[in-house]
Amino acid sequence: MRPLDPRLLRQARAARLYVGLTTGLGVATTALLVVQSLLLAHIVAGVATDGLSFTDVRPQVVGLGIVLALRAVLAGVQERFGHRAATAVVRQLRERLIGHAVRTPEAAGADLALLATRGLDALDGYLTRYLPQLLLASTLTPAVLVVVGWEDRLAGLTILLTLPLIPFFMALIGMATQDASDRSLLSLQRLGTQVLDLIAGLPTLRALGTAGAQRERVRAAGDAHRRATMKTLRTAFLSALALEILVTLSVALVAVGIGLRLVHGTLDLQTGLAVLLLAPEVYAPLRAVGTQFHASQDGLAAAQQAFDVLERPVAGRGTTPAPDLTRATLLFDGVTVQHPGVPVATPGNLTASVRPGEVVALTGPSGCGKSSAVAVLLGLREPTSGAVRLPGSLKLADVEPESWWNQIAWCPQHPVIVPGTLDENVRLLCPSATDAQVARAAAVTGLEDVVRTVPGGWHSRVGQGGTGLSAGQRQRLALTRLLLSEAPLVVLDEPTAHLDAGSEQAVLALLRELRSRGRTVVMVAHRPALVAAADRTIDVSGNVSPGLETGSQMGVPA
Amino acid sequence: MTGEKSEGRVGPRDQAARTGAAAGDRAGGPAGPSGGRAGEPAGPSGGLTGPAALLGVLGQMRPDPWRLLLGAVTGAAAVSCSIALLGVSGWLITRAAQQPPILFLMVAIVGVRAFGIGRGVLRYAERLISHDVALRGVVRLREILFARLAAADQTVAAGLKRGDLLARLGADVDELGDVIVRGVLPFFTALITAAASVVALWMILPEAGMILAATTLMAIVAVPYVAGIGGRRDVIGTAQARTKMSENVLALFDNLPELTVSGRTAEQVAQIARSDDRLSAGLDRAARPAAGAAGLGSAVMSAAVLGCLVVGTQAVADGRIREVALAVLTFVPLALAEVVAVLPAAAVSLVRAAQAARRVAPMLEAPVPDGRRTLEVQARPVPIGGLPASRGLRVVRELPGLHLRAQNLAAGWPGREPAVRGVDLDLAPGRRIAVVGPSGQGKSTLLRTLAGLLPAAQGHMLMDGTDVGDGIDLADVHTRSLRALVHLTADDSHVFGTTVRENLRVAKKDASDEDLVEALGRAGLGEWIEGLTDGASGTGLDVVVGDPAGPGQGAGTHLLSGGIRRRLLLARAFVSGAPVLLVDEPAEHLDPATADDLVAEVLGSSRAGQTAVVVTHRLSPLALADEVLVVDHGSVVARGTHDELIATYPPYRSAWAAERSEQAA
Repeated sequence: MRPLDPRLLRQARAARLYVGLTTGLGVATTALLVVQSLLLAHIVAGVATDGLSFTDVRPQVVGLGIVLALRAVLAGVQERFGHRAATAVVRQLRERLIGHAVRTPEAAGADLALLATRGLDALDGYLTRYLPQLLLASTLTPAVLVVVGWEDRLAGLTILLTLPLIPFFMALIGMATQDASDRSLLSLQRLGTQVLDLIAGLPTLRALGTAGAQRERVRAAGDAHRRATMKTLRTAFLSALALEILVTLSVALVAVGIGLRLVHGTLDLQTGLAVLLLAPEVYAPLRAVGTQFHASQDGLAAAQQAFDVLERPVAGRGTTPAPDLTRATLLFDGVTVQHPGVPVATPGNLTASVRPGEVVALTGPSGCGKSSAVAVLLGLREPTSGAVRLPGSLKLADVEPESWWNQIAWCPQHPVIVPGTLDENVRLLCPSATDAQVARAAAVTGLEDVVRTVPGGWHSRVGQGGTGLSAGQRQRLALTRLLLSEAPLVVLDEPTAHLDAGSEQAVLALLRELRSRGRTVVMVAHRPALVAAADRTIDVSGNVSPGLETGSQMGVPA
Repeated sequence: MTGEKSEGRVGPRDQAARTGAAAGDRAGGPAGPSGGRAGEPAGPSGGLTGPAALLGVLGQMRPDPWRLLLGAVTGAAAVSCSIALLGVSGWLITRAAQQPPILFLMVAIVGVRAFGIGRGVLRYAERLISHDVALRGVVRLREILFARLAAADQTVAAGLKRGDLLARLGADVDELGDVIVRGVLPFFTALITAAASVVALWMILPEAGMILAATTLMAIVAVPYVAGIGGRRDVIGTAQARTKMSENVLALFDNLPELTVSGRTAEQVAQIARSDDRLSAGLDRAARPAAGAAGLGSAVMSAAVLGCLVVGTQAVADGRIREVALAVLTFVPLALAEVVAVLPAAAVSLVRAAQAARRVAPMLEAPVPDGRRTLEVQARPVPIGGLPASRGLRVVRELPGLHLRAQNLAAGWPGREPAVRGVDLDLAPGRRIAVVGPSGQGKSTLLRTLAGLLPAAQGHMLMDGTDVGDGIDLADVHTRSLRALVHLTADDSHVFGTTVRENLRVAKKDASDEDLVEALGRAGLGEWIEGLTDGASGTGLDVVVGDPAGPGQGAGTHLLSGGIRRRLLLARAFVSGAPVLLVDEPAEHLDPATADDLVAEVLGSSRAGQTAVVVTHRLSPLALADEVLVVDHGSVVARGTHDELIATYPPYRSAWAAERSEQAA
């Protein structure tokens, strides 16, 4: 992996003030360090060999005090503002990722959410520690080397010759351990998953009465994970060890040279001390880069993933205003969706029409492409081939999405509950609905029964941190939303999946209500009662390419 | 040294947070990248202060004191090597400048080399030792927590959502392991090293020793205090802000298609921006005490260097110490500054870990059932596999068949209003009962109470008797023996990330492959198991399966669809051979014909003498049931045979008619 991603650097430009500040502070700190070393060397050498008294070195001591005080201030300033570069860049990248996801809703998922949160947060180490050190290594190392060379040419030359050994050996070790650490990372993940799987299954094991007996397995899996971790760490820490020893040996080489020349009287103590204090500082940025390298990799990998996502093309959006759906007939014209890794196209070559005011049921065994057909109709997914056609030889892809969505009310399989009150949630699609309208709609769907049982009624909080709603209750809430919406096209995805036979009546009542209002309804239906309630059914599986298995329930994405 | 911040975080935390977040959201609960709601202690003993909780939990991890000491000593030795390296080099070249015979310098030269190499090697050893101690502690704590929750009162584990469980036992426990490496050991190391340095300087020049003692004391106590306690609220607040922000992001991404169609994305994006603002502001506030601590720490150690230099110069002038000692006096505090520089960060990690400890500690104190559950009961005619005799248990009765009886039973989660009241039910051996009614009316809760997994809120669950005084109360029966008698298939039962065989044998250790295949066949998975392969060598029972919602799967895992998952859980119930089977909704995610077959199969278990209670929404197969209970509005509103209900209870009749007309259509 490249240590510098130019895309990230471009992004980091937004935070260049703070990256610059961090680097500037690094430069200033090192400059102070150089001055401090020279002053210290002057004082100690003066007192030790030239017999100077405290009064003689007082100006230098005062100067040293000032330098040390400044360093303390710089340390504070660094802590105070150093994080801002990372905060700003992470924020911006997050915003861009989210913006991109919003424009490509079908590609968004939990993985992307994780990348946008934890993944990018890991960039912190890269931006606040690794990147500034890298900049310091490329600027300060030569600068301090020049100072050392100025003081003592031989020591400077020694450092110049040993310096390249560090990146060379680091690269060598890195290459040698890469395979091993990749392998062990995989086994680490697997073992970690095992432990978590047992934990997730704890309530089940309790219900089976065998939880106590699984204690051994938790320990065994944990121990295996520990051993694998230690194996990884032994290799990972090895590079730090090598780095440390390389630096120490290099400094020792310099020190021995100084010592010998001091003994022979060819070097004065002040220079010797100064060089001794400065020599480690030449290596320090390189060392830091080496130790921060691993810590920064997660963040860098996340950033690269993020940029890869951002570079995915966003499909062009249509610009033609959508036709009035109270009058327009929709036509599935050979709509085919090919899912990656699935041999069968689901749906394959679906051709059907939906006329305004009709209640149409999409039927077929699970996995035959009903949900994909709905996604295409909603304009959330591009069909692999074919199109949804509208009057006036218009294709859905050419329609301006907002004007399309404005005319649709959709109840997906897992309807959203936004954090807030039940009342806010029920008005999600139609904030302006009157209380009377809400009450009437809730009576049709049976939501009023739910409201009666939860403490706080309409004002009880639901969603994150609020009362949990059962799947059935959620579904009723979503159905009530549909009823409150003014949208001419209503799309339902398996609306009764969680309701029992008695509550099915509620859905049927909803359908009657929608029909009486002249709404067009497209619903994915499993239950015969719903299919019977439709004006017409479209058998989606009938459109699957012949000769291929369609009845499989083996997890083919629906 | 700041590299420590991110090294060695190799626990299963990532996956924990991932599934924790996902599961938490699904349950409508908190979803946390930092492992749940930071700063909000869970459970009744959440009143425990952070430090007390941290000490208690770390104590439970029982870090091997010798290993811990070894880690601290090795760390201190490594750091001492750095200090000695600088001190001895300073002495060496100052002495060299006096141009003594080179032999005089040999010891010091050897010393420099030894310290140089020693520093690297000891540091390597220390890192390995400390991580090993921490990981051992993590394994131990996780095991203890698991065992605790396995044994604890039913209500404790039951009250935990899956996401919470993963966050506590996953991310929080990892955090507590981390703190040994990043929070505890740095303090030990600094203390040992500082003490050694003070003694060394004191021997050279007492004033210098005193100065170093005073300054390092400040650096070890006061400076981390500023960072840790001063920054405590912001550290916690930042963790909360981060959790909140992640929840918002997850909420957006999970529901993006729906939010897009309903035109609500802009609002959600704005909300994320607001929570990100709060996070940035929190991070900025948290940086203040950190900055104060960094500046203060640097100033304190600078004072040490300067002070030692001044008193040293005076002492040289007074002739109390030799010139060469001056370099040692100044270089030692200079090197020590690096050791104490990590302490503010260590203090912050202690504060974080204390929050995790406050969440974990209540689980360690989870009440274990009192002395009641001591009765071991075995039922006869249905072979259930021998229960190993356990100490402290009394085999009171060997029942001719297991007869359960609910008397005026109220079922509900502890601390909440009962969901269902006044249930009387006679579960004679071989009886077939169905429970129907609208969703969300407490049918599942009732089933858990019948299984003895939830305590009866009111009334009694009796075993083998007709009245309270005469039967055995389910609450008195030893958990393990009870579980072998009553098998519950809950709707959220877990499918483990292992082979089909292991997933079934969880219910009965010694079941043969023939038994397993037969059970799968009964659950309608006969063809499925025959055709199942993992794409490599494994087929049938050997295929590793996984729940798509579970904590991550490896390559070759066969992910189960909802319908298959249900049927696999049902097969597990058949494998168990328990005298009483309680099955929650076997028919979900299935087409009507398959669903009815399965319900019929469960009810048909009575052929083998098993009692069956099934909660379902399918009415057609209930003609096979001896009794059907209709649960609505918190009580049994109607009961009788299928035919009786059709005749006497109009809602049942119309629901059944609706179901039949569907079938016809």
